Amino acid sequence: MTGLLESLIRGLGNGSVYALLALGFVIIYKATRVISFAQPALMLAGAVAVSYLAEVTGFYAAVLLAALLIAGVALVIERIAIRPMVGRPVFVVAIITLGIDVVVRVVVNGFIGRDVRQVGDPWGFAQVSLGPLVVQQRWLAMLLVTAVLVTLLFAFFRYTRYGLAMRAAAFDQETALAQGVSVGMVFALSWGLAGFLAAIAGMFVGTGQGIEQLTWVIALKALPAIIVGGLDSLGGAVVGGLAVGVVESLFQSYQGEFAPWLGQNFAVVTPYVVMLVVLLVRPYGLFGTREVERV
Amino acid sequence: MKSRYVVITAAVVTLLSACGVIRGDDEGSKGAQTTGVTSEPCPSAVDSKKGCIYLGSISDLTAGPFAALAVPITEAQKAFWARVNKAGGIGGKYEVDVTKFVRDNKYNPEVHRQVYNEMKDQVLGLAQTLGSPTTAAIIADLKANSVVAAPASWTSAWEFEDVIIETGANYCVEAMNSVDYAMEAYKPKSVMAVHLAGDYGADAAAGAKIAAEKNGLTFTAVETPSGATEQGRAITEITKNKPDLVILTTGPADAATIVGQAAAAGYKGRFIGTGPTWNPALLKSPAAPALKALYEQSAPGKSWAADTPGHQAMRDSLPGVTPNDGYTSGWAWAYPLKAALDAMVAGGDVSRKGLLAAVKSLKTVDYEGMLPPEAGNYADDPNTATFRQTLINKVDDQVPTGVSMAKDFFVGPTAKDYTFDGPCFAKL
Amino acid sequence: MTAPPGLSGGRSRRVRGRPLLYTSYAQDMALLDTRAKRVWTGLLVLLAFAVSVVLADRSLEMLAVAYALAIGAIGLNIVTGYAGQVSLGHAFFVAIGAYTAAALSGPPGGDTLGYGLAEIWIWLPAAGLVAAVAGVLVAPLATRLRGLYLAIVTLGLVFLGEHVFKEWKELTGGPGVGREAAIPQLFGYRLDQDGPLGTKEQVLYLLMLSLLVVFAVAARNLARSRVGRAFAAIRDRDIAAEVIGVPLTRYKVLAFGISSFYAGCAGGLLYCVSGYVEPGSFNLLLSVQFIAMVLIGGVATVSGAIAGALFISLLQPVTRALPALVPVISGDTTQTPNVFQVETVLYGLLIVLFLVFEPRGLFGLWVRARNYWKSWPFSY
Repeated sequence: MTGLLESLIRGLGNGSVYALLALGFVIIYKATRVISFAQPALMLAGAVAVSYLAEVTGFYAAVLLAALLIAGVALVIERIAIRPMVGRPVFVVAIITLGIDVVVRVVVNGFIGRDVRQVGDPWGFAQVSLGPLVVQQRWLAMLLVTAVLVTLLFAFFRYTRYGLAMRAAAFDQETALAQGVSVGMVFALSWGLAGFLAAIAGMFVGTGQGIEQLTWVIALKALPAIIVGGLDSLGGAVVGGLAVGVVESLFQSYQGEFAPWLGQNFAVVTPYVVMLVVLLVRPYGLFGTREVERV
Repeated sequence: MKSRYVVITAAVVTLLSACGVIRGDDEGSKGAQTTGVTSEPCPSAVDSKKGCIYLGSISDLTAGPFAALAVPITEAQKAFWARVNKAGGIGGKYEVDVTKFVRDNKYNPEVHRQVYNEMKDQVLGLAQTLGSPTTAAIIADLKANSVVAAPASWTSAWEFEDVIIETGANYCVEAMNSVDYAMEAYKPKSVMAVHLAGDYGADAAAGAKIAAEKNGLTFTAVETPSGATEQGRAITEITKNKPDLVILTTGPADAATIVGQAAAAGYKGRFIGTGPTWNPALLKSPAAPALKALYEQSAPGKSWAADTPGHQAMRDSLPGVTPNDGYTSGWAWAYPLKAALDAMVAGGDVSRKGLLAAVKSLKTVDYEGMLPPEAGNYADDPNTATFRQTLINKVDDQVPTGVSMAKDFFVGPTAKDYTFDGPCFAKL
Repeated sequence: MTAPPGLSGGRSRRVRGRPLLYTSYAQDMALLDTRAKRVWTGLLVLLAFAVSVVLADRSLEMLAVAYALAIGAIGLNIVTGYAGQVSLGHAFFVAIGAYTAAALSGPPGGDTLGYGLAEIWIWLPAAGLVAAVAGVLVAPLATRLRGLYLAIVTLGLVFLGEHVFKEWKELTGGPGVGREAAIPQLFGYRLDQDGPLGTKEQVLYLLMLSLLVVFAVAARNLARSRVGRAFAAIRDRDIAAEVIGVPLTRYKVLAFGISSFYAGCAGGLLYCVSGYVEPGSFNLLLSVQFIAMVLIGGVATVSGAIAGALFISLLQPVTRALPALVPVISGDTTQTPNVFQVETVLYGLLIVLFLVFEPRGLFGLWVRARNYWKSWPFSY
């Protein structure tokens, strides 16, 4: 039983990282109707920035600085490559973000070098006891930080002018424009926010095992998470991320025992299996808005 | 109309194919004596009167899991051949170039084959072909064209290939010796091999299995993907089954994650990793305390700081580098090729065939003390020629490469009695 | 349709010097609708065949790979360009083709599955058909989804496929190990060895080129048929298409099936050239590469897909030649601005630049150039 619970906590920890990434995807999607495939590169860039800054400023300041830095990078990308594409088919823009991802990762890989880089986090593999459970501190940190960020984010959308502007633009771009909302600002803000969240997620991915050039692949696990939750639902992104993390963790722990015929390392693809199962039942994800078709 | 097109096309195809037969070789280069050997001097020749032997290197230089080792290997070999050239080259007639044909294989067999095809008509042999599965992808062509290659891997399959001149004991022997060593030191009752797929991981796992059977230990094998974040299942298997000994054959980042997280979860057994699982940078990772407490490294040769003439020459040739045993391995791998080139030029037949014949005549190689001379036996049958001595290193943050010797060259009882009749990995 | 007498003959009624004046429906729908197109396409094909005796083996090998990729790109263009169903799962179907072909043609009794059927006319259609069946099986799920949902689901397909191929060691040799790829043999004559017809590279080049011509003509014919028009209707507005009587599900399944058939054949052929195939190759990157070919070449054009495939495959050798020209860029991967980094950056940048400045891709550039010269010297 403790094994199960520990496995759950590990899953929630990793899942909250997926949730942060998924939120980035969804925020950009809601504002621009585009899935940004540049998120993996931004995540990696965030982790690398932390690993360099932490040597100078200390870990916590480095995380904040890196997140702001990556938000800035995201703003620049949006301004240069995405803004000129307003009104073009979304798929074309999505492929542009793929191209950006490739370019940014080459630059970031130059900074990573060939060794594994450590992000200088204070958690390492240190453990903490919660009653009978022994869990790694970093998973609790992931969960906690994500909870705080999600709360702040929802408060931002609910109570601030900019949040309202973003919701308005997501609901109906033209009407929002007519009401004086700067849609350009909304685009920029959404990319900035996504960059910020990606950097934090990258930092968490780097805790413990460090980061290497192949680490970017982790960010792709957020894609099934957003499909599970529904492309345009912020709450769905959080639920989807956590669900994907938990299922993956449970499969890592128990699949070898109960379903060895699925092949070793089946856990790696469980996010996609979850996604397919959910889609069979609900084609717009758990919380996504069903498109109304009018002829 | 359409049928006319078909007829015309078919006619054209036949015509052109007929022409194709008489097309001459368009790769003719001036001064070529044989494939990969010119009477022109090397691009960066010490003595411009000597000819040039071109050797190719295919290594994991950018994105693969062994890049941190592969780059030092490549650098060390450049330094090795530069030293050879300075000392008069090969037989006073040729210098060796290993800088013109250096290609990245991304640790992918397909890419490996592709870049090999790009260079194969311009090199005499390969100074380095990194990786076991990657080299397996070109082995048929190497054999067909008698291209001698120095591998940068230690799989037992190389014992059975004439064209591959391996240096040091293979993974299979290494794992056997590791288990035998652990039998003396820790008296384990169960062994688990955590390994990457393919010749590298499976070869060591097979060696561990053979040794475990010989010693009457229970054995399990867990295959794991490469990538530090994908090790969750391997860690769970270790902490759940609690084997007394884990033989690791993964990349360095994977090894650190596995050791670190398993120790954090309360695992108290021992880890012995094969040579490529170690990287000095791991001492800076959060896994460092766990590595110091639980991990040892088996190795086919002595570490960077060892006191032999070969090691000394290497350190002198590579001033100012961050010590790393990639350099040591790369340097040691170059000795047999040098011996073979010397023998080839002395024998007079400067060609691929001549080089292969020279290789087959080698019973010993002078490693300048880095390895015993009998490690360079390519003349006898595989079972006799297989070198079976390995050593064990322990983690030591006082020395530059992070490991110091715990047990000098030894042959365990399993490896001593074992008859090599085919690649080990096929027996897992 | 009954045409008025005198107009049914189509081509014979063509007015010289008025290439855009169509005097019959058949003429408008012709495979190559103008005389200039017919002549130039013919010459181009002839030229392509002719270079096999001129070019060096290395270049021929590269082009042979490019042609095989072009077949795959045409396939993706059918489902994504013509029928508008965005698929990031093309690599999965390519993999199915590659392994079907490799297994059928492999020698029996080896380390990996092999049935010893090395004749290309057996394994090539088989590779296509198995992939097409997979495509048809996947399609019902895909038809429920639209746009980016579909893109991500097909992406999931790539990951699931990668897992299956990595685990199924009897078939694929396992990750990092791989297996020998399909052996092309025609009536007992090995096409991947030097022989009486020329060197290995020449023979493979001719093989790929001939197959590319066949597949390209077939795709072009499909696009101008009833099926092609149905695809276009679905792409442009699927609800409207349904209203005018196009059965959506049937045509979407058909699009996936045909596209996968092309992908499967491309997969079987692609790895003949290097002769080796590793299951890790069939990843997201490969899918993205196909998408890039279609987009850079030109969406919903066969010639665009071929141009895109050539462009992407020739990008690598061109950048490899850079160190000789630009001294800042090093050919040595241990130094920092090296060719491999430049190559990757160029790949990414080209995708971005093309989409930002010329969304119709190379085909669009061609159209611009053509229009410029058409009215020369009065072009503006």
